[in-house]
Parts: sequence; structure tokens; C-alpha cells
Amino acid sequence: MLAVRPGVPQPEDTVQFRVSMEMTKLDIRNYLERIYNVPVAAVRTRIQYGANNKRNHRNQRVKKPDYKVAYVQLGQGQTFQFPNLFPEKEQDAETRSFDDFRDKYMEKEKQKQEGDPRRGGVPDWFGL
Amino acid sequence: MRERRKYQGGIFVTNQTPASLTALNLYHKNLPNIETLHQMKFLHTTEFFDDPGNWGEKSVKSGDSWNIKQLRGKSSEDLHKLWYVLLKEKNMLLTLEQESKRQRKPMPSPERLEKVETSMKNIDLVVREREIALRLLQTGHEKPVPGEWRHDFLGRTFWYSYKEWPIPWHLNKKHKKKRFYYLPHVNHFIRLRLEKALRKRARQQNMERTRRKILEKKFPDIAVKSQSQ
Repeated sequence: MLAVRPGVPQPEDTVQFRVSMEMTKLDIRNYLERIYNVPVAAVRTRIQYGANNKRNHRNQRVKKPDYKVAYVQLGQGQTFQFPNLFPEKEQDAETRSFDDFRDKYMEKEKQKQEGDPRRGGVPDWFGL
Repeated sequence: MRERRKYQGGIFVTNQTPASLTALNLYHKNLPNIETLHQMKFLHTTEFFDDPGNWGEKSVKSGDSWNIKQLRGKSSEDLHKLWYVLLKEKNMLLTLEQESKRQRKPMPSPERLEKVETSMKNIDLVVREREIALRLLQTGHEKPVPGEWRHDFLGRTFWYSYKEWPIPWHLNKKHKKKRFYYLPHVNHFIRLRLEKALRKRARQQNMERTRRKILEKKFPDIAVKSQSQ
């Protein structure tokens, strides 16, 4: 079972999970209530079909796996907002110096590509 | 660099309730305060996410996975609790993985998933061993379901476990069509299969020997030590 950020905005008390295909609504309710102590008011499930359109280098169809989605409404008036798990953090000195180094290198590469500034940036292919 | 810090010197306190065990990352040497755990209880579903201090980090430190030898020394109660702790950790890591795919960012330390999976597999093995031992003492049988070795119509040997049927096998038309014997003309194919297996084994042994020789050539000083031992 994993919690998932909903693609479509859900009401505040609804949490979206991806669960095993064999789990029922009752199973999900018991799982959350006993293992996570989460008060569950309602559970709705649906099975998402994984597409079979993509093809690999042998032109064989590659199937994306099917999965079951559960929409759990929390009891006792609790709300849930999916948090931002990748907030911007201050880069430490190492990463900053690496970024500077990388930018300088890219600038040098670009300058090599350009033509002679004394000839107006025209490439050397043109005669004389 | 892996840190072998799981034990925390007998910190497996059996008085704790399963809820407070959840944020207990058993890899870490320092236990989080139980007070902060209770403060976080307002949002139960935080147990699907890591400690908020770790959000946005490039990598998260974690200890080694649980070894079978270490688990054999634990009581069944402890193994039961450890299983659920590992299950919650696995759910948390899977959530993080899916979210990282959604945000198109790299997941911090994906090796944690492998460690959790191997730990859970090892717990399963230990519990199975204990079940087999108990069954042997109580009934004298190793397996829960009786069975026997049989041949199939291609001459291959396999373990046939008995199933419960409502009618005896000699009245079962479909079962009688299955052949648990092979005719003499199959001996040729058994021989071919045997030769294939032998060839594969010989190839593996030769490859090992050549690899060892290459390494001995590259690092002669270490090779001399192993030969002397």
C-alpha cells in the first residue's frame, strides 16, 4: 500500500492509495485501522488498467502493470493534504562550487563554438 | 559505506505499542523522543512519510539489513513487531518512490527498499524454520502437505504434493490423462538434457578459473598469500 498524490483534486478528508489488486474495501479498512490507527469512514476502490500500447526494440507490446486505487475518507473530521516531499533546500558549498564550475565550463565551450569576434562572429568556413 | 547499527544494545523494548514503533527507524542508533512522536499524532497518515527533516535531502543514512543469524536470536514476539515496523517502512519508501517519479526527481537512497525487502524475506525464512522444527517435534513431518517425488512424461523429476479431492484419482477422468511415467524413447532426451547441464557447469567452472587467473596476474602479492593459506 502506498499513499499517492491525487491527479484530480480530492476533498480534504480523502486520501488516495495504491493497493494490491487482491485487497478488498474491508481489507483496506482493517489494515489502516489496525496497523496505522487511522479512523476510516469510507473506502472506495477502482482498478486502473495499465496500457499495452508501448512497444520495445523487438516490436513486442510492453504492458504497464494494472493497479488498484483506493479513496479513503478519514473519520472524526480529520483532513489530509499530500505534503511536498521535495522542498527546495540550501545547497551546501560542494554543490554550489560544482554548479559554478559547470557554468564556467559551458561558457568556455560556447565561446569555442562561436567564430572570431574580430571578424564579426562569422565562422571560419567563409573564405579568406 | 554501510553502517551496521541495528541493535542499539537491546533497545527492542517490548512495552512499546505498535503505533509508537512506526517512526522508529530501526536502522538509526539514536531513538527519536517518544514525546515528539505523540505530538505528531494529529495527522495519522504522517506514518506514510519519512521524518520531515529528511524531505528534500539528496541521501538519507540507513543501516544494514537484518541478517538471518541476528534474527534467529530474536523471540517470535519481537519478530512479529519487527515485521510490522519493516512493513510500514516499506510503505513509506514506496510512497517516496512514486512521489519522486511524479515530481521527476531522484529518490534519495533507493537502496533502503532492497534492505527492507531482504530483512522481511529473512524474517519469513526464520519463521518458516521455526514452524518446520515445531512440526517435526509434534508430528514427525517436515512439510505441512504430504507429497512425493514423481516423473513427468518428459522424464523430469518434480515434487508432487497431494491435494484434497472429492473423488479418488481412479474416477477422475482428467487426472487419469496425466502421465506420471515416461516411455523408453524419452531416455535419449534425458541424456541430452544431462549433457547440456554438464556443459553449462563445466563452462561456469572454466570461467571462474580463468577469472581467478586474470586476477592473480593483476594482483600477484595477494595471490601468493591465498595459495600459501
